[in-house]
Amino acid sequence: MTEPAIAVRGLTKIFPVPFHRQSITAVRDLDLRVEPGEVFGLLGPNGSGKSTTLKIILGLVSPTRGRTEIFGRDSRLVESRVAVGFLPENPYFYKYLTGEETLRFFGRLCGLGGARLRERINELLDLVGLTKARKQRLGTYSKGMLQRIGLAQALIHHPKLLVLDEPTAGVDPAGSREIRDLIRDLRHRGITVLLSSHLLAQAQEICDRVGILADGALVREGRLEELIAIENQTELVLENASGTLLNEIEGLAARSNARVIERRKSTTTLERLFLEATKK
Amino acid sequence: MSNEIDNLTLERFDASASARPMQTRHRAFSLARVRAITVNTLTELTRLKVFYVLLVFALLLIGSSIFMAQFTFQQEFQILKDVSLGAMSIFTSLLAIVATARLIPQDIEDRTVYTILAKPVPRLEYLLGKIAGVLLLLAISTLVMSAVFVLVLYMREQAVLHTTIRQMSAAPREQLDAAVRAVRASAFNIDMVPGITIIYLKACLLAALTLFVSTFATTNIFTIVVMAFIYFIGHLQATAREYWLQAHASGLITKIFLAVVALLFPDLQAFNLVDDIVAGTAISLGLFFKTALLGIFYTAIYTLLAAFVFYGKEL
Ligand SMILES: Nc1ncnc2c1ncn2[C@@H]1O[C@H](COP(=O)(O)OP(=O)(O)OP(=O)(O)O)[C@@H](O)[C@H]1O
Ligand SMILES: [Mg+2]
Repeated sequence: MTEPAIAVRGLTKIFPVPFHRQSITAVRDLDLRVEPGEVFGLLGPNGSGKSTTLKIILGLVSPTRGRTEIFGRDSRLVESRVAVGFLPENPYFYKYLTGEETLRFFGRLCGLGGARLRERINELLDLVGLTKARKQRLGTYSKGMLQRIGLAQALIHHPKLLVLDEPTAGVDPAGSREIRDLIRDLRHRGITVLLSSHLLAQAQEICDRVGILADGALVREGRLEELIAIENQTELVLENASGTLLNEIEGLAARSNARVIERRKSTTTLERLFLEATKK
Repeated sequence: MSNEIDNLTLERFDASASARPMQTRHRAFSLARVRAITVNTLTELTRLKVFYVLLVFALLLIGSSIFMAQFTFQQEFQILKDVSLGAMSIFTSLLAIVATARLIPQDIEDRTVYTILAKPVPRLEYLLGKIAGVLLLLAISTLVMSAVFVLVLYMREQAVLHTTIRQMSAAPREQLDAAVRAVRASAFNIDMVPGITIIYLKACLLAALTLFVSTFATTNIFTIVVMAFIYFIGHLQATAREYWLQAHASGLITKIFLAVVALLFPDLQAFNLVDDIVAGTAISLGLFFKTALLGIFYTAIYTLLAAFVFYGKEL
């Protein structure tokens, strides 16, 4: 059996509320395994405990009960974070640093330096499309630009595991497309990705497995195609089909025991339309 | 189109991954990481323009030296030293408290601390980097203030020498030499160096204490108010303690109580060697080392206490 990239066992997090008797249970008895090389999506409504779970996995918040491990090392140990890149939700960095300085700072924290770091910074700025803004202070960056520099920062030390809290939040459709393509690329390179999102269409597109959190508890978990397949239905997409052909097919269906539930014109997605219209 | 992008990014990643081995081994403590945080903290403070305090200091000195031409040179130098060292002590203390108070709370509020601690950075290194940044800032400020002070003092000395020589041009050689020596002696004395060192160490102590308070404070205002309180108590406590010891027999409990008070409210009066320097009394080497050690000891203790609280802190 291979060692999981992330193992969460019996995790519970209770936040005490100061000056009140009751407390908030952000995560309830959560069990989770992320295998190496897969893209795992943690889905759930606002306040369901996604960010809290990710922070506990990274050792930023201490669990009330249970334990979490990264590649077999306890999250509470600093070494567990050596091969991990993290993008917090709504990332916010030092306003007074430029994009380039930000990456240099985080690179140094990961033990990089010299020509190797300089090269890596150029690569990453290019990758996230911020080469032109490299000398600009982050105080002047837009939300999407901050998200991009956050992603670059997470990748600076070639991590084996990426933890992304709502990676496409605030990013325009083209940028969001690029980020999703990037995540796919990373997966091809064998990098494990754990991401949280409530943009279901996007999660559906990139995740191998998903877990759905509701009120701190995992209510569904499994391979995406298994979870969303409707076992007794099949879709058929035809091009240039005449009305007679379609009627014939419906007739055939009626004669066997099948039923045509819906017949409609194919549509493009709004995303594809948007990307076509704004393409430079 | 999409394929093109994919291939490009693919290549870039391959090139970077294969050219060099992956991670360097993680070290439990790394000075390079502390240095990165120190440099960052210094950059932050510099770009916040805290150095404007120094400008105020320079203006104050130059301004006050203009008004002093009416005194005898002994008086003038004495007042100049008194004002300068006093202002230096207050400004470095102020800088230490104000610069440190917002350092950690701001990082927590902006969540930058998440991004930093999500890297393999122990919390102790983070705190050490922060405090080192402040201590460096204080060192630079102290040096700049000393330079301004020495420059102003030197210029006044030259002016006084110039007039003395002119006035005594008819006097015999030995008398002139004696007068020149008297001017020189009352301008500079070597005790200014240990005096300024102690002023710096007092600022370091206050910075470390502010760091400690800020790790459990809920707002910056709270930290600054507490520090102002500690600052005044710290200056008064030696007197209070003597009074207390006279009034009560010095039993074990009293001693423990006083030790706790001394830890919470460091005896800042002990760091006030300015009066001696101004008066021209020599600071004994023993007293200097004792005070310096006390300063370093307090700074270290408060930093460790800050680390202790910070380790248990829910971010
Ligand atoms: N530091 C904290 N102190 C008290 N309660 C907290 C704290 N952090 C999170 N919570 C609570 O824990 C619950 C889960 O929050 P969390 O941020 O994990 O949700 P989320 O799933 O990430 O939501 P979103 O989609 O809005 O980002 C919420 O009820 C929140 O109020
Ligand atoms: Mg969240």
